[in-house]
Amino acid sequence: MARNEELFEAVLKGKRKDVSALVQTDIDAGTNVESILMESMVPAMAEIGDRFSRNEAYVPEMLIAARAMQAGLDLLDPLLQAAGHEPIGKVAIGTVKGDLHDIGKNLVAMMLKGAGFEVMDLGVDCDVDKYKEAVENGAQIVLLSALLTTTMPYMKEIVEGLNGSSAKILIGGAPVTQEYANEIGADGYSDDANTAVHAAKAALGIAA
Amino acid sequence: MKLKLISCEIFFREMEFLLKETPHQIDVEFMQKGLHDIPTEEMLKRLQEQVDTASKQNYDAILLGYGLCNNGLDGLTARNIQLVLPRAHDCITLFLGSRARYRKYFDENPGTFFKTTGWIERDYVADELKDISIPTQLGMDMSYEQLVNKYGEDNAEFLWEELCDTEKNYSQITFIEMGMEPNDSFEKTAKDEANSKGWKFKKVEGSLELLHSLLLGEWDSENFLVIPPGAKIIPAHTENIVRYTQDK
Repeated sequence: MARNEELFEAVLKGKRKDVSALVQTDIDAGTNVESILMESMVPAMAEIGDRFSRNEAYVPEMLIAARAMQAGLDLLDPLLQAAGHEPIGKVAIGTVKGDLHDIGKNLVAMMLKGAGFEVMDLGVDCDVDKYKEAVENGAQIVLLSALLTTTMPYMKEIVEGLNGSSAKILIGGAPVTQEYANEIGADGYSDDANTAVHAAKAALGIAA
Repeated sequence: MKLKLISCEIFFREMEFLLKETPHQIDVEFMQKGLHDIPTEEMLKRLQEQVDTASKQNYDAILLGYGLCNNGLDGLTARNIQLVLPRAHDCITLFLGSRARYRKYFDENPGTFFKTTGWIERDYVADELKDISIPTQLGMDMSYEQLVNKYGEDNAEFLWEELCDTEKNYSQITFIEMGMEPNDSFEKTAKDEANSKGWKFKKVEGSLELLHSLLLGEWDSENFLVIPPGAKIIPAHTENIVRYTQDK
């Protein structure tokens, strides 16, 4: 099946109800559920992410696209599971201990989901143990978020706490820099929600 | 000494109060609180301009009424005059009088908004900074009505919760009493805000000690970073918070 242009547009424009209706129509018509996801919906999220990176779309547009995508996923998920569809990777994301800010973290989580990852959202105020638990539960990547320079240094403790585990560690948030990622030994850094998706793919060796 | 003070206006009343007590001659430039809300490179640019202008005159030092301010001072460079910066993440350290006290209070009181006279009467973004302010760029300062017009009712409700309800994880207002408030109206404003939001209200005694030392010229290395000519401020990622480098 080729891309369903109508569905692609509906995700891109954040039209949640249209996405639900279009996905249901496709399901009823017996369209392959994996191709609905991978050929129409995931590309729409990639497109909105790229537009964001080019300053042609802003955070609200990205959020409503992600929400529309989720509406479609709610219908597809049980069928995908039944069909044995595997996510492209399993990741965990959370805002670090002491920090209660989650707009950026939520946005990155939605974009990762939109790219086909299974995402465990650990919430805010996450200590080392929470990330460790996520790795024990199969997270291949943990993503750490912080908005404040007061809370960012805790990332170092998390990197040390996860030392020896196979999980990759990506960090981000307003005060976070590539230099800081290098300094604490994190595997990667990104400064927006779209590049976070690219970084996560790169960390697992998935082609962009 | 002849000194120049470049300070965030959030300290306006504290600085005015303390300036009377210093033996030094201090010229003062207050900067907009809104610099806190624009991208760090934009904040840096504006502060560097002030440092550069002050460096053309004969000062013994340029004092910075700032902290690291979420990396807004990362890269600020001393020209031919030394800079003096308190070792602080942000202004709350300077209101509480020490970064150890701030760390303790921060850890014990998650989800707290701090209020002072400055944070009550100067907590806005000036019009000329609005276009580049991060909340504007993220769509966080739109009204519900604006969201509905742009994205439709269904999405507006969702965006409001995700983007605009920035206080959803906060639960407390702490009023820091600095001892120079003219009356109790500021405390009352802070208390009323807490009540209207259904949050806890606490009051703590602030300390003018760090700001006082800054203006007195008592810059011990434990609490202050003195940046020599030619060096620039960078984050230390340690309890020292800031350090300087001579690297370009």
